[in-house]
Amino acid sequence: MKEVGYKFDVIVVGAGPAGSAAAYTLAKKGFKVLLVERGRVPGSKNVFGGRVYADPLRDVFDGFDEAPIHRWVTKERISLVNGEAMTSFEFHERKRTSFTTYLTELACWMARKVEEAGGTVLTEITVDELVVEDGKVTGIRVGDEKVSSDVVIDAEGINRLLLERAGLVPKLEVRYAGLGVKEVIKLSKKEIEDLFGLDEDEGLAWLMMGDVTGGLPGGAFLYTNRDSVSVGLVVMLGEAVKEVREHISRYVEALRLHPLLERYFRNGRIMEYSAHLVPEYTWPSLPHRLYADGLLVAGDAAGLLLNLGYNFRGVDYAAYSGYLAAKAVEKAHEMGGMTSENLSVYERMLEESFIMKQLRKFRNAPKMRENGRLYTTYPEVVNSVMDQLFHSPYEIPKVMEAFKRAKDGKIGWLDLVRDLLEVVRSV
Amino acid sequence: MLKMVVGIKWVPNTTSVNIDPKTGTLIREGIPSVVNPHDLEAVEMALRLKDEYGGKVTVITMSPPSAIAGLEHVLGMGADEAILVSDRAFAGADTLATSYVLAKVIERLDYDLIIFGQETIDSSTAHVGAQVASWLDLPYVYYVTHAELRDRKLVVRRSLENAHETYELELPALISVAMHTLHPRRVKVSNKLRVKLENPIKTWSNQVLGLDPECIGLRGSPTALSKIEMVPKVPRKNEVFRGDAREAAKWLLEKLMEEGLLKLG
Repeated sequence: MKEVGYKFDVIVVGAGPAGSAAAYTLAKKGFKVLLVERGRVPGSKNVFGGRVYADPLRDVFDGFDEAPIHRWVTKERISLVNGEAMTSFEFHERKRTSFTTYLTELACWMARKVEEAGGTVLTEITVDELVVEDGKVTGIRVGDEKVSSDVVIDAEGINRLLLERAGLVPKLEVRYAGLGVKEVIKLSKKEIEDLFGLDEDEGLAWLMMGDVTGGLPGGAFLYTNRDSVSVGLVVMLGEAVKEVREHISRYVEALRLHPLLERYFRNGRIMEYSAHLVPEYTWPSLPHRLYADGLLVAGDAAGLLLNLGYNFRGVDYAAYSGYLAAKAVEKAHEMGGMTSENLSVYERMLEESFIMKQLRKFRNAPKMRENGRLYTTYPEVVNSVMDQLFHSPYEIPKVMEAFKRAKDGKIGWLDLVRDLLEVVRSV
Repeated sequence: MLKMVVGIKWVPNTTSVNIDPKTGTLIREGIPSVVNPHDLEAVEMALRLKDEYGGKVTVITMSPPSAIAGLEHVLGMGADEAILVSDRAFAGADTLATSYVLAKVIERLDYDLIIFGQETIDSSTAHVGAQVASWLDLPYVYYVTHAELRDRKLVVRRSLENAHETYELELPALISVAMHTLHPRRVKVSNKLRVKLENPIKTWSNQVLGLDPECIGLRGSPTALSKIEMVPKVPRKNEVFRGDAREAAKWLLEKLMEEGLLKLG
């Protein structure tokens, strides 16, 4: 292993939101920073559903208003689907809290900010391993070359091969991960606004529960971009591997061709298909530390993603954790070095941040999502109630009557109450 | 010690290119560009010769400045220098005007061997290598699959469908590498760092080269493309029969007879 002729204060692995936020924050403070990315461009290995919350990114990046924002999500729709029936709940308010975009565009923008701040960004570089000497991470190995740094920030994403190879985390278990699969379908800007009842730069976030996932436990989503829609599924891998019968792309295709959804994509053209793992059980339940001598872990690699079932927070959590990792490096630098002890401030900062507060608050959410009835029984019951209320011209039932008829033989009162309590407790 | 010049082209990635059915031209908008993959094989051959005999590899390309990303890539592979030949005056060039400019660039360099890829994925003419050899009056062999030095002569193997030919070339010479023969190497982190931190890419405009405007760009290009005709898409029925293989065979036979594709003799 040959040492290259350049040395850095900090090496950040992975130019996704976490890595770029960390590299940007440190480069701005005058640290000599190297950000390495294995994809052709920053973000080319990233996949998200489609929505990002703006405020945490605004805290991290100066000039955030120039970021590539497609539409501000002003319309939230949650639907329970079974068969060809769908009951929806919709909330519309013109506030600019979260937006849709292409993650690759956003990640490229972030990496450009790193370069503007004086950091060095290298793409098409796959790190083979973290170099550990005397129990301390001293740099990275790429092929037969080593690049040294005082500290490495690992933002390699959910598939934590470097941490695994360094023996710092166990192999990621299937039950800890979800699988997100999606298609991006091109439509015109006007078509999107007409189809979804949106004003210019307004966007829709649509979450669907029920058999739209082809029976796999999880949910479906649709986000409107500027002139395309992202439509896909997130399934819980632990359960899905037992039940999946076809290639996962078929499930997305079935979703696109669903009788209630097909109308939105009829004039569209598929531009992109992608799939990616999603942290499902997040950091509080994962067996690892986020710091070691010469090392910090941020973003998906740290399991910092919040999945509420009706909403996902991944990109902003990742970026903010990268930002905190950078702040921890600054502090450790002031304290005299990148020792495990000095870097442990990172975990304290995370604990005090919105990230860990929320992750702790919703720590039961993953368990709740394992309850199969949420995806099968309840959408069926709700749609059956609606069906009776609106499609019984001569004999309109009372709501309670309809409900009883709908649930009989499907679920008992006891399970119902228990599930209700669980949902209320979890989210 | 071999001083080599490699010509590369920055092209739209045609695996994802669409052709406008009305105008018959490439839709380049939003299509990511790449280094022509066959040119990466030319770079690889140069780097292997450098590994073997020592020397220097200079990569040149005539392109708008977006090709810098491509030059960064080949420098990452291990090329020593790169020259971006870029000027509005060069725009609209056909292969003749392109090869003229490249030949004039190469004339200013100290070289033993010039290497090109077999052809480009966006136009597949395979003209430029041959034309550069002609402008510079150099021996030229194409479809080269292997090259080595023997007593300051370059011995190259040229692969044809049913034979291999071996040529011995006096240097300087020009070769083009048969496509799909060499696997381009990964970029090295040290090379990429050198690119970012030392910026070894030079840009030469026509102010540097001072070429006659009649011989370059659109004006220096006698080629006129009169028409592109699209091959009509054959409609496919894409019928799937699920079930027993025996049944399926019967079903398929009936279908083929129905379509008049099979007849009982």
